[in-house]
Amino acid sequence: MRRTLICALLTMSSAAFGQKIAVAGEKLYTAGGDHQDGKPGVVLIEDGKVIGIAEGNRIPDGYQRIEAAYVTPGLIDAKTTAGISGEYNIPADQDQDEETDPNTADVRAFDSFNPSERLIEYINSYGVTTIQVAPGLANPVAGQAAIFKTRGPSSALMTADDMAVKPISAVVFDLGESPKQVYGKRNKPPSTRMMTAEIIRKALLDAQAYQKKWEDWNKSDKKDPAKQPASDLKLESVSRVLSGELPAIINAYREDDIATALRLAREFKLKPVISSATEGYLMRDALKTSGASVLAGPTLQRLDGLETMNATLENAALMADVGIPLALMTGYESYVPKNRVLLFEAGVAAANGLGFERTLRATTIDSARILGIADRVGSLEKGKDADVVLYDGDPFEYTSHVTAVLVNGKITYQASGGK
Amino acid sequence: MLRFAASAVAVFISFQLVVSQTSGPTQASSGQELLVIRGAKIYPVSGPAIERGILTVRGGKIEAVGSESKVAVPKGARVMDATGKVIIPGIVDTHSHIGIGSRPSVPANEDVSEGTGPIQPALRALDAIYPGDPGIRMALSGGVTTANIMPGSGNVMGGQTAYVKLRGRTIDEMLIPGTIGGLKMANGENPKHYGRENQAPMTRMEITALARKEFTKAQEYKRKWEEYNKKVAAGDKDAKAPDRDLELEPVVQVLEGTRIVQHHTHRADDIMTVVRLSEEFHFRVVIHHGSEAYKVADELAKRKIPVTLTIVDSPGGKLEATQAEFEAAAILDKAGVKIAVNTDDFINSSRFLLREAALTIRGGLSEATALRALTINAAEMLDLQNHVGTLEPGKDADFVVLSGNPFSVYTKVLETWIEGEKVFDRSRPEDLRYATGGFQIANRYPKLMQSSMKGAQ
Repeated sequence: MRRTLICALLTMSSAAFGQKIAVAGEKLYTAGGDHQDGKPGVVLIEDGKVIGIAEGNRIPDGYQRIEAAYVTPGLIDAKTTAGISGEYNIPADQDQDEETDPNTADVRAFDSFNPSERLIEYINSYGVTTIQVAPGLANPVAGQAAIFKTRGPSSALMTADDMAVKPISAVVFDLGESPKQVYGKRNKPPSTRMMTAEIIRKALLDAQAYQKKWEDWNKSDKKDPAKQPASDLKLESVSRVLSGELPAIINAYREDDIATALRLAREFKLKPVISSATEGYLMRDALKTSGASVLAGPTLQRLDGLETMNATLENAALMADVGIPLALMTGYESYVPKNRVLLFEAGVAAANGLGFERTLRATTIDSARILGIADRVGSLEKGKDADVVLYDGDPFEYTSHVTAVLVNGKITYQASGGK
Repeated sequence: MLRFAASAVAVFISFQLVVSQTSGPTQASSGQELLVIRGAKIYPVSGPAIERGILTVRGGKIEAVGSESKVAVPKGARVMDATGKVIIPGIVDTHSHIGIGSRPSVPANEDVSEGTGPIQPALRALDAIYPGDPGIRMALSGGVTTANIMPGSGNVMGGQTAYVKLRGRTIDEMLIPGTIGGLKMANGENPKHYGRENQAPMTRMEITALARKEFTKAQEYKRKWEEYNKKVAAGDKDAKAPDRDLELEPVVQVLEGTRIVQHHTHRADDIMTVVRLSEEFHFRVVIHHGSEAYKVADELAKRKIPVTLTIVDSPGGKLEATQAEFEAAAILDKAGVKIAVNTDDFINSSRFLLREAALTIRGGLSEATALRALTINAAEMLDLQNHVGTLEPGKDADFVVLSGNPFSVYTKVLETWIEGEKVFDRSRPEDLRYATGGFQIANRYPKLMQSSMKGAQ
């Protein structure tokens, strides 16, 4: 009802806008650059890019003006299954977990990504403009994540290629309850945390050997085609983590699983990104020392298993307090609701110790830096993508509204008046 | 006396933290001592907000509510200053599974749905409620004081629900005296799970047929008892009483109107099926979840059938919930349907019930109606409106002290009171851990817990 109405309005309004848009905020947060966050300012947009910030509220000639009480950069969900785990939650639309092999290093979230999934439009209407989409929770070596821009209710249909920021952004590893539950009940490995770690360790060792084979062959004078090592997409994928070309995202909830993640990272000299990190607050000193970044999991999620029993609303704040690089993520939901909303998670974090500014950073520029996309998104600075969110009040208040969202300078969502 | 007996039992409860707290000293307006809370902005719900209000409590009941300038403070009263704070009635959750699906969520604790047959009216939630469930203390930290704890939605008739206060160490202490609970029913996707094992019900047709059959049996059973009672009244000493049927007794109570059907249902057509059955058998019903209730708002309004909504962050997770909207509450309210907001805990954590109501405001509902949806409207759906739901003299002294606007993300529940007894206090470290998290691990990491206390107030 709301959606169809807005859709109709939007198709008209976005067509009405020209190439030059000025977004004026009574409180503008750029999350970077010279503008003082929270002061009035105008984001000047041309051809999908930010071309500058004008202080105050005066707008140069030739711009279409849209305005709001609060304006922030587009939000970045650092890890989600939106687009590969559909809202219907039936086998036909669930493509996040390839539960046939505990090592699926070769699978790519990109190949499961459904650009038309309605959940993507939904989160776009709550200000999320960039998502890292990662395989689910089942496999110790789960596969390759990808980063996309989101579509909104008023966007044209697009392909995954149109939306991709990074078709391959990380290799994901899963620890804890899920892998052993999925395979253990079939009497297949892993049925214990020991085996989960072993599967990952073996994958990394095999990839090291694979790397060495290729190095040796590349170094050989003749490069004899007969001796060229056989290509192996799984090993290639994992070796890109060993070489540092791709980050390793290790999903872990419990403190001992976080410790396992850090141990594996030390063993193979990885710079780890820990996702979920439900008990990260108990491990914050070790996390800090290891140099790990954290994609902190949702705190509104159901506390289903034992490994989330100690979740705290203060997790993000407690980790940020010691200087751990931090982004917020929504992860995966198995039932109702099918997806968490980053904006709502941010609200809980903001109100439970992280505060407004740090929460905004953890959902914009800090997230972009951890994901390696800060050259394009995460702040409203000259030359960056014009991904902008407008709100009628404090973005993190339950009762505020997102009034408009822009992705690449195009309006993807606009609330109908009075909503 | 019950309390002493219970503390012996409590030793065996695995969650030591739960025990140490609930058995600790509680701040109560014990006996006839008069407790006066002054200075707060009070939302009595029965009337307009009072800017600088006063609330007096004696013997577990509210004695007076009013403006600070109008209510006199008697000598000898224990006075608590709540200036700058906000007081609302204790929140009534019309749909919860706390206690019956205790945390952690492992098979050992799974007592929500008896998945062995679709018609289970004989089952009583109270036989499976674990008062030591940390989920109950989490609910207190969210300001919930009264709950309708229900069996799950896997069955057409899931069993008898329990109307409880969230206090006490036995179910007897929790149950609200004089109440018999509701009858949990469900239609739509969930009861169809039997179909996966080639058992009935496999279709919505059969779900409804099973319900209709059970109500018809109950009509027959009721008639037999009426005939018997008539004979007894006429002095027939040979009259033979019908055999008691524990399955049909609660259904007869539904037919008689003393037990309300609490009906899980999402899709508009499923909701209309409930309406149809309720008219066929003349029973009182509350629509639960009602994801698509807004599509048939006028049908519900004209029949005065209330709806208690479960507000979820995003649509989907199941087909029948894909059309859920934050705007639903506002649409239903505008059409004249009485609405409540529930947690369906574990779907939403009871810590966030105020938040779920705030999301209905985001969807266009007024703050005043949102507050009613959490309190008096919810109480009416459980026939508890004479005991709870507003702050009025004579009602139970169940109230919540908030740090600010009830619907702000930044507001904290500071205290929760049930019948004049403080059952949650955010300034107590062990209570705080239920509000924010980490209750299970808090005693292993006291220092870290202390450091995180700084944001507590």
